Amino acid sequence: MALFISLVILCFLAIVQTFVPYFVKRTVVFGVSIPEQMIQDVRVRSYKKQFSLVTVVVSLFMILFFCIWVAAKKPSDDLMILISTVIEFVMIFISLALFYYFREKMKQFKKEMQWEGELKQVAVVDLSARSEEQLPPWTIYLFPMIVTMGLIGYTFYQYDLLPNQIPTHWGPSGEPDAFTKKTPFSAIQMLVLLLILQLMFLGIQLGIKVSGIKLSATNLSASKNRQLTLRKSSGWFTFYVVLLITMLIAYFQLATIHPELFQDSPLKIFIPISFFILILAGTVVLMVKVGRSEKREPDSLESSIMDINDDRYWKAGLFYFNKNDPSIFVEKRFGVGWTLNLANPIGYFIIFLPILFILLLTFLFN
Amino acid sequence: MIIRIDPESEVPIYIQLTNQIIEGIAKGELKPGDTLPSVRAFAADLGVNMHTVNKSYHELEKKGIIEIVPKSGAVIRRHLHMDSNTYERLYRSFIPHIAEALVLGMSKEEMMKLVKKIINDLKED
Repeated sequence: MALFISLVILCFLAIVQTFVPYFVKRTVVFGVSIPEQMIQDVRVRSYKKQFSLVTVVVSLFMILFFCIWVAAKKPSDDLMILISTVIEFVMIFISLALFYYFREKMKQFKKEMQWEGELKQVAVVDLSARSEEQLPPWTIYLFPMIVTMGLIGYTFYQYDLLPNQIPTHWGPSGEPDAFTKKTPFSAIQMLVLLLILQLMFLGIQLGIKVSGIKLSATNLSASKNRQLTLRKSSGWFTFYVVLLITMLIAYFQLATIHPELFQDSPLKIFIPISFFILILAGTVVLMVKVGRSEKREPDSLESSIMDINDDRYWKAGLFYFNKNDPSIFVEKRFGVGWTLNLANPIGYFIIFLPILFILLLTFLFN
Repeated sequence: MIIRIDPESEVPIYIQLTNQIIEGIAKGELKPGDTLPSVRAFAADLGVNMHTVNKSYHELEKKGIIEIVPKSGAVIRRHLHMDSNTYERLYRSFIPHIAEALVLGMSKEEMMKLVKKIINDLKED
């Protein structure tokens, strides 16, 4: 099972990294914004192709190395997971290094072309975009939260049934492999963390709602389609993840209170594995949906304008820092999804406060 | 309705916003009773400071074009006839433009044509 999980993650990562340049916003190439007129340029296309090619070859080589190593050494599950995690980090690191390599090339290219002198920069807003938006209503988050609170109540009600050692970690076989002493807090610790997580995801969804719908002046309909698809899909994806996590933790909690329910049941492996597969599948659906939402060429291209060059707000090409923009989140420049506007303190509250809270709880009570 | 801003322009962004919203109403792209986006949403979409949008909304409110209604936001007002104060204000604001046109050699007929053309352009689509 450990081998299966490791291989799925490695292949998933390899595929995602390979296609990233083709899933991002069409006018941003390796974190450098270019005019719509240039996206089919030979150099731009060849950089993207080179990135994908190098990534796929290096990834396949590493996966092959991993398979040979497993076949030859027959390592323990723990060691296998450790090594595959190291390989995952190496893959991410290589992809990042390639990103910066091609970013430099793109910056060079942009400097040579001097678009700013020739094209007028414009910013656009569609006043009707907000009324076309279809984000899931925030109230649906109340449902998983009520389930969590119900489980907290149920745990206290059945407190005597709980074992003296409360599981805190589960291995790849679905069996708990780390425990802590039973106290009223450790009994519900996991559910409290779940509740914090649910609040954080709700915060993200509300943050996305008040963040900007950024449109491209040179390709209004496609950029609007992408922004609205990203908002809608990532909104539902966030809720989907919350539901899955809630179900998984609810299962772990019930299995701790009533171990006899799942004794020798195939569900023990089936539930965590399907959780894992469903999360990955959801991620793929999100990437493909958003990635494909902007492929359409503009109906008519005004040749004298380009979008605002906002590269200066993107520190190191990946971190957005714009004091003027009241957006809490903005669309990522490399990858599919959102990133924080680091100049807006509200984002820190939504993301870092819950993490800090979770860390504090974990260290204070254990 | 699409609003397009040129940040490099000499015209401040808040004035560009104000002018384009007024043009949008004149063209019928925005209608009396329509609500403009919240200041935060508008500024976030454009990536500009909230003060800029706020300034533009206040300008529009001062001109009597929108009404800031608590809870529902900036609502476009309906105007059936013009009061004397507004007439006076517009009268004054036309003077420098007309004077400039006269000084630069534009005839009365040409000016009439120009006004007609602008009205037609706004009402066209």
